[in-house]
Amino acid sequence: MTRLTDLPAAQAKRLAEAECPSFETRPWVNGPALSRRRVAIVSSAGLFLRGENPFRGRDADYRAVPSETGPERLLTSHISVNFDRTGLQEDWNVAFPLDRLKELAAEGTIGSVAATHYSFMGASDPLAMEPHARELAGRLKSDQVDSVILAPV
Amino acid sequence: MGALGHYLEDEGIATVGISLIRPQIENTKPPRALWVPFELGRPFGPPSNPPFQRRVLLAALRLLERQDGPVILEDFGEDDPRARPDSAWIPPVAARGNATGGDALAAGLEAEIGVLQDAYLRWIEQSGRTTVGVSGLAPPDSARYVADWVRGKSPPSPQEGYSAPLLMRFAVDDVKAYSLEAAAAGNVRPSSRQLGDWFWEESAAGAALHALRETCLASDDERLKLIAGNFIVPTARVRTAV
Repeated sequence: MTRLTDLPAAQAKRLAEAECPSFETRPWVNGPALSRRRVAIVSSAGLFLRGENPFRGRDADYRAVPSETGPERLLTSHISVNFDRTGLQEDWNVAFPLDRLKELAAEGTIGSVAATHYSFMGASDPLAMEPHARELAGRLKSDQVDSVILAPV
Repeated sequence: MGALGHYLEDEGIATVGISLIRPQIENTKPPRALWVPFELGRPFGPPSNPPFQRRVLLAALRLLERQDGPVILEDFGEDDPRARPDSAWIPPVAARGNATGGDALAAGLEAEIGVLQDAYLRWIEQSGRTTVGVSGLAPPDSARYVADWVRGKSPPSPQEGYSAPLLMRFAVDDVKAYSLEAAAAGNVRPSSRQLGDWFWEESAAGAALHALRETCLASDDERLKLIAGNFIVPTARVRTAV
C-alpha cells in the first residue's frame, strides 16, 4: 500500500476525516536563506532512545534525540500499528532524516544541524501537545534553531 | 503535525512539514507543507536510497525560503520505487503448521522465534542495528511473554514500571520487529507489502497475534479490549468472519 487511496476504504476515510484542530490565526515566520539556517527535526514517530522512557498510551510530551545519536539507539513505541515500520527498521532516514540533514549542512546547503532533535507520538491529542510544543520552542531557541522540519509517520 | 507546526511557528520558529495524508493538511492549514505520495511510515521515501531521501528533504526545506505564505502546500512528484515487490525475495522458513488453539499457536510462535534466530543475527550484522527492544526483554523472553497471553494466561509483568497489558503491547511490537527484520535479512529487498503478507498470512507469529487479538477482545478487561482492538493487528490485516 502506498497512498491513502490504497488503504481499506474505512481506514482511509477515518484518516482523511480525522478531527484536526482549527486555528483562528495563521502564524508565519520568515527567515534568512537556507544556507544560514539552523535546522532541527521534530518527528511524531514516537521515537525514544533505547533504555530510556518509551511513550505509553497517548503521552502528549516529547523525547529528545541528541544529534550525535547513532541509529542503533533509536526505537519507536508509537501506539499505532497502521503504518509501515519495515522502512524504519532498515534505515532510520525514512522517518528521521538526520544523516541527510548532516550531509546538507556539510555541503553548505543549510547552515547547521541542531544539537538536539525531538519526537512526539503522533496519535496524541494535538491540544494536549500544545503546552509541550510551546515549551519545546524555548529549548529550540536556546539551541539557536530557527527552522524545523516536521516529520510524521 | 499540522498543529505542532502552528504552535512552533506561533512561538517564532519557522516550520515546514511533510504530509502523508493530504486532506488533513488541507483542513489544518499549517504554514508550509510538502505532500508526499508514500506509504504511511515513510515520509522521506524508500529506505537505503539517500539521493531520493535528499530530494524529498530538500524540496521541503526549500519551502522555508518562499515568501508567499501562509499557507504553502506543495506536492512531491516522485513515487517510492521500493513500493514495488521484488520477485527474487523468498520468505524465511517458518515453523507454522496448521496449528489452531491457543497452546499450539503459542508453541508455534516460540518455535519460530528460534528458527529465525540466525536470520535475525544476520540482519543485525548487515544493518548494524535492530529496532527490537521496546519491551526491554530479550527476544525469546518477549516471545514467551506473548505466548503466555496467547495460551489464555494473564502473566504478571516482569518489568518494573510496566503494567502487564502495556508490556504485552511492547512485547508484541518486539516480536513483530524481530520477525520482520529476520525476514528482510539478505541481499534481496522485499517491499513492505511482501513482508506484511508473509508475517500476517504465513508466519506462526502472525497466526498467534491474530488469535491473541480475538482472545483479548473476548476479555472482560476493557483495557485489554482496547489494546486488542487497535494495537495488535493492523486494520488492513484484521480477518473478518466468514
